[in-house]
Amino acid sequence: MEMFNVWMPIAGMQFNVLLLLLIGFTVGVCGGFFGIGGAWIVTPALNIFGFPMPYAIGTDLAHMGGKSIVSTIRHGKFGNVDIRLGISMIVGTTVGMELGAKLVMWLERLGLADSVIRKAYVVFLAFIGSYVLLDYIKYTRRQRLARKQMAPAPHADTIAHRLQRLRIPPMIYFKASGITCSIWLPILVGLTTGIVASVLGVGGGFIRMPALIYLVGCPTLVAVGTDLFEVMITGAYGAFTYGIKGRVEIIAAMWMLLGAAAGAQMGTIAVKYVRGYSIRLLFAVTIFIACASVLLKQLELQIASATLILTAGIAISLVILILLVRGVRKERETRRAGSGDTRL
Amino acid sequence: MIQDSATKSLSPGTGALAYRFFRWLWVLAIILLSNEWLLAGPKPAKKLVNVADTRALESGFTKWIADLYNANLWLYGLFVVGVMVLMGLVLGFGFDRVIKSLGIDLGRLEHHE
Repeated sequence: MEMFNVWMPIAGMQFNVLLLLLIGFTVGVCGGFFGIGGAWIVTPALNIFGFPMPYAIGTDLAHMGGKSIVSTIRHGKFGNVDIRLGISMIVGTTVGMELGAKLVMWLERLGLADSVIRKAYVVFLAFIGSYVLLDYIKYTRRQRLARKQMAPAPHADTIAHRLQRLRIPPMIYFKASGITCSIWLPILVGLTTGIVASVLGVGGGFIRMPALIYLVGCPTLVAVGTDLFEVMITGAYGAFTYGIKGRVEIIAAMWMLLGAAAGAQMGTIAVKYVRGYSIRLLFAVTIFIACASVLLKQLELQIASATLILTAGIAISLVILILLVRGVRKERETRRAGSGDTRL
Repeated sequence: MIQDSATKSLSPGTGALAYRFFRWLWVLAIILLSNEWLLAGPKPAKKLVNVADTRALESGFTKWIADLYNANLWLYGLFVVGVMVLMGLVLGFGFDRVIKSLGIDLGRLEHHE
């Protein structure tokens, strides 16, 4: 395997390019499917194989920008990107990130930043995972009962529906999402998710995607595509800001992007063959695994934590690829037999 | 958790399950965070020296990157963004063509949950 080692001049070390391709591919599949950047997979994965942490973060952010372009192009062609909504969110997210940074500095002055943030991270991941999972359970129960009663499933009045009814001008119609709401709703959601992401020190894709579904009321696929549009912008900014600080190993980022681009394309196309709620279920499982990984880190089990997240990332990518292959097969069979629904 | 009356009647156990789970989540949050406020201490400072090691490099792309890094970090930052955007666009449109050639329908999707 040594023949695949390449000298990384910025990080000052040899690194195996096959490993970079694998990490990139894995996070590309998950990112394209869930609409996330996937820093929580890449950063510990690079770090466990010897990449110094500051370079792992910067390199991850750099490749994330490029990878999100690949996914956003495809999601855009599928009609899953609501650019107007994405831009409104970015306004709120940018301000939120700044406010979050100030909150972190305040916590640092109190000497609390590190441990408080890591523990808040665990609680927050557990909250998101449980909320999405419970919503999935309620949805499947409603569907099952509706099938028994031979009637259409009733629509629950969600938080998003209530927030959409707030008539604070200007009201805006978001075409791709098919929703009309006050412009302040996505701005405030962006602001809140920006604060949380900044305090937790993450890109925030895994916060924004469920926030777009449960607070703004987007269809799951539009939430995935629009979130990736935002990840693309924040990734490019992150690449620049970490680049000028000298924390990006560009050679590693290029190799990872090569694998991530292939993975992102596959992960993005896989959404075509699954229902929105299937994406939500897999997302909840992924978030619980991320939560377990952060808990292991809290217990100073760094290697176990990184191994868990990398293994889980590969396993989830495999599940997504299996869904993709099954979907393509079903599509071909359906095409041969006439038209029909190809979603699993 | 928001549940209307119709949903409640359809799934009687979910609300109680959710309530129990989120109550435990709050307890976990309070236990985890409360002892941190009592055990606060200053954070040690860290410093990294940003110099790319070019001793083992003679010429080529890697050497050029390392020299750029050592010469001007602003230019290096711009170069990083430029390369990532360019690679993203080329690979994005490139892979799109490859997938299309495999005969997969890549038209607009309808949004069903």
